[in-house]
Amino acid sequence: MVKVLLIGDASREHAIADAFARSIHEPKLYAAMSRRNPGITKLCKRTGGDVAIGNIDDPNFVVKAALDFHVDFAFVGPEEPLFHGIPDALEETGVPCVGARRSMALVEMSKAFMRRLMWKYKVPGRLRFKAFKSLEDAVAYVNEYAESVAIKPARQAGGKGVKVIADLQVYLSKEKREVKAEHVKTVYEKHMAVYDDIDDKVLIEEKVEGPEYTLQAFTDGRTVLPLPAVQDNKNAYEMDIGPETGGMGSIAGPGWLLPFLTEEEYKQSVEIIQSVVEALWKETGVRYKGVISGQMMLTALWGPTIIEFYSRFGDPEACNVLPYIEADIVEISEAIIDERLNTIKISFPNIATVVKAVAPKGYPDHRDLARGHPVFIDEEAIRRRGCKVYYGSLDERSDETIVTAGSRIAEIVAAAPTIPEASEIAESCVQYVRLLDGWGVFHRSDIGSEVLLKKRIEQAQLIREIYHYRLSRRLIGKAIDWIPGRGKIEYEF
Amino acid sequence: MAGVIGIYAFDKLWRMARFAYYGLLALQNRGQETAGIVTCHEDGLSEYKGRNTVDRVFLEEKLSSMKGWLAIGCVDAEVRHEGSIQPVIVNKPTKLAFCMDGKALNWREIAVEEGVSTESDVNAVAMILSKYVDKHGLLNGAVRLLEMLKGGYCFIALTSSGEMIAARSPSGIKPLVIGSFGFDYGVIASESCAIDVIGADYKADVFPGEVYLFTSYSIEKARAQRSEVAYCSFEYVYLARPDSYINDISVYETRMRIGEVLAEEHPVEGDVVIGVPETAIPFAMAYSNKMKIPIAMGFVRTGPHVRSAIKPTQFERLVGVQLKLNPIRGAVKGKRVILIDDSVVRGNTTKNTVTLMRNKLGVKEIHVRIGSPKITSHCPFGVEVPPEDELIARHLSDEEVAAVVGADSFHWLSLNGLVRAIGIPQSMLCLGCFTGEYPLCLKT
Repeated sequence: MVKVLLIGDASREHAIADAFARSIHEPKLYAAMSRRNPGITKLCKRTGGDVAIGNIDDPNFVVKAALDFHVDFAFVGPEEPLFHGIPDALEETGVPCVGARRSMALVEMSKAFMRRLMWKYKVPGRLRFKAFKSLEDAVAYVNEYAESVAIKPARQAGGKGVKVIADLQVYLSKEKREVKAEHVKTVYEKHMAVYDDIDDKVLIEEKVEGPEYTLQAFTDGRTVLPLPAVQDNKNAYEMDIGPETGGMGSIAGPGWLLPFLTEEEYKQSVEIIQSVVEALWKETGVRYKGVISGQMMLTALWGPTIIEFYSRFGDPEACNVLPYIEADIVEISEAIIDERLNTIKISFPNIATVVKAVAPKGYPDHRDLARGHPVFIDEEAIRRRGCKVYYGSLDERSDETIVTAGSRIAEIVAAAPTIPEASEIAESCVQYVRLLDGWGVFHRSDIGSEVLLKKRIEQAQLIREIYHYRLSRRLIGKAIDWIPGRGKIEYEF
Repeated sequence: MAGVIGIYAFDKLWRMARFAYYGLLALQNRGQETAGIVTCHEDGLSEYKGRNTVDRVFLEEKLSSMKGWLAIGCVDAEVRHEGSIQPVIVNKPTKLAFCMDGKALNWREIAVEEGVSTESDVNAVAMILSKYVDKHGLLNGAVRLLEMLKGGYCFIALTSSGEMIAARSPSGIKPLVIGSFGFDYGVIASESCAIDVIGADYKADVFPGEVYLFTSYSIEKARAQRSEVAYCSFEYVYLARPDSYINDISVYETRMRIGEVLAEEHPVEGDVVIGVPETAIPFAMAYSNKMKIPIAMGFVRTGPHVRSAIKPTQFERLVGVQLKLNPIRGAVKGKRVILIDDSVVRGNTTKNTVTLMRNKLGVKEIHVRIGSPKITSHCPFGVEVPPEDELIARHLSDEEVAAVVGADSFHWLSLNGLVRAIGIPQSMLCLGCFTGEYPLCLKT
């Protein structure tokens, strides 16, 4: 019997655990978690496995768990264990691992590394950027160039610290420059302060606009096996208003595409990911074994464009596809480990899926307020409505009460022939996620709605027309400008 | 009438005073008498107000040092006492800054009930809100206010502890929209043009009876009990900017449809169509398209843009119109001219224009078409309409008006024509200034 160690404790990992629990190979599931996720714990118990609670970024802890449980292989869910070299440590002790080695996970961990790699190998969908090590240089740069930019911590910092400022009205530029400069300082002093594992501190990229989507894929470093495209919704509140979150819910389908994505665009997106996996191999001689996801955007500049890479599944995006893929996760994992992913076929039913996250008030910017509230999730009621629920940022205490840990409480997944139908079904289940002390929860009822979907389609169509125009004029990968007094500047990407 | 804006940054790095300033500049069409901004920051509220147009009230020096990541602002067409210039600040029981567009009809009654004594409607409603939110909480307090207070109004309030409340009365008479800028701020404003001008994205109409509460960790929504909805039709004819969306309908497209309907209802042969700037320009363009008669540029403006019809005195209105309308001789000389205007209230500005064109510019014929039904009655919801005995349409027939102003023909848009152009069922529109019949059971 196969024994699997799953590393991680959020909704995404619960969805991965659920996929293992459904495998015809009936693996025994073990989990290494920082917090006791009740959903994952239950599945481990059910399959005859067990859990270990400790620091999942600590190789010693995870290796010990793998050895104690005598697992055949490990599967890593979140990014931080990858950045801390958990797969490297496991493989050194003879435990094969589905999860990018540290040198591969750099594609997510260091945004500067990722951009340099894309430029070096001329991968389409790249953006102009500047990486800074010194605070003074970065501040001087934003003060000098009043441009529309995205300011990011140079290292993946739990998805936090990204600020995107469109600076188009000169009459508002003064205040926007102040914010940009202040934000650069915040990135240095807050978001990057806790990391000493990369040299660059802040990344400033040109700002692009368009509909975003995530393309997740399995890879063994040779073959890239893509999954259906998914769209996450990052604003905390309805109508795309509010601060950035890890994702309030996501839509996918029907089938492989999204209503605003063409087959051609999907293919190009897959090719970009393939090129990057190949570039990583050329660069390091290491095979990328695990999951790689492109967080992409349709832009006027390129069409499909890379905003960021994930060295793992997206969360909530994993929950749209994992419950429905027609392929066995044990077989996929073994094929990745043996570098024969080319033998695996993944099909996907022609359905649409909608994921809705339920978060405690206080998320995302006041997590101290969001933490420690007792939770009740009526799993039975959710199941009766044909939905799935994956437990998120929760902790099961020794007295079996479940409390919030500050981030999203749970993700509800619904499937139906169309996205709006799936959205309505998911919506009807949101009421079953409750806090028992009267503290409020919130979610976005508009995710997957007809209205929001129409907006996405319109936005995509607008961008598509521009990049097609640029394509017809052979302007893709080029920027042409006229600077008075200097003349015409042509910029080849 | 007034224009209101509220901006709520999700990140305290922002200073929003200048954004409010440009938002108000975009809403200047809704009031030119006073302008004010209140911001909220660590030390509480800061206010900055004055009697003038937006560009004259706010000085760069002060604006660029005004702190606060939350701001509300107001432009007002009403001449008010010093203590009533919007936004007003109430100190007790809940400290808040408050501004509103429109009128509450029964505010005196509720003020008495709540022991509030003031002669200003704005101050009274602000004090009542302060009491309600103290008693019922921010969201429920605002909902209660909407349910108690009859009328046509929208308001935005900012508490000193950093919450923003925005609400639209259940009647929906006054417009209100919501927008946002990336992950950084949300904005509520009377018209979507203010959202555009500050570089944010228009998201949706705020529904009648809806309350939005912005706090540092949520945006909550609630809806007051439904009542009769009556969207102001005059917003489409004259009040709103053509680049705005009102009730999710494009004002520009509505004005183009008005011009088309006007051509269908009152066609006339002519050589050239000219529109009186700026509101009537889309009417004239659509009339010209429909009639296949060329349009020409008829007038050039002198001095700053003023909304002549909402100036408080007759002298100011005439100065406004005369400066605004210097006709271009080459466009009209010796021609049969179709002159399109947005509204005729007293008739004297139209007379002025027609006489000038005939006597000094030598037009052959002049036909006047108005992109609005006859204005015959006052507005109880705060739009400045002259006393009813001064309204020319209330007293004279089309032929008589033509004779008074000196035109060859003179016609108004029909009421049905306006309703058709807007595209909202008549039962959901307030047409009170044209009919004298007002929503909310008011027969005055």
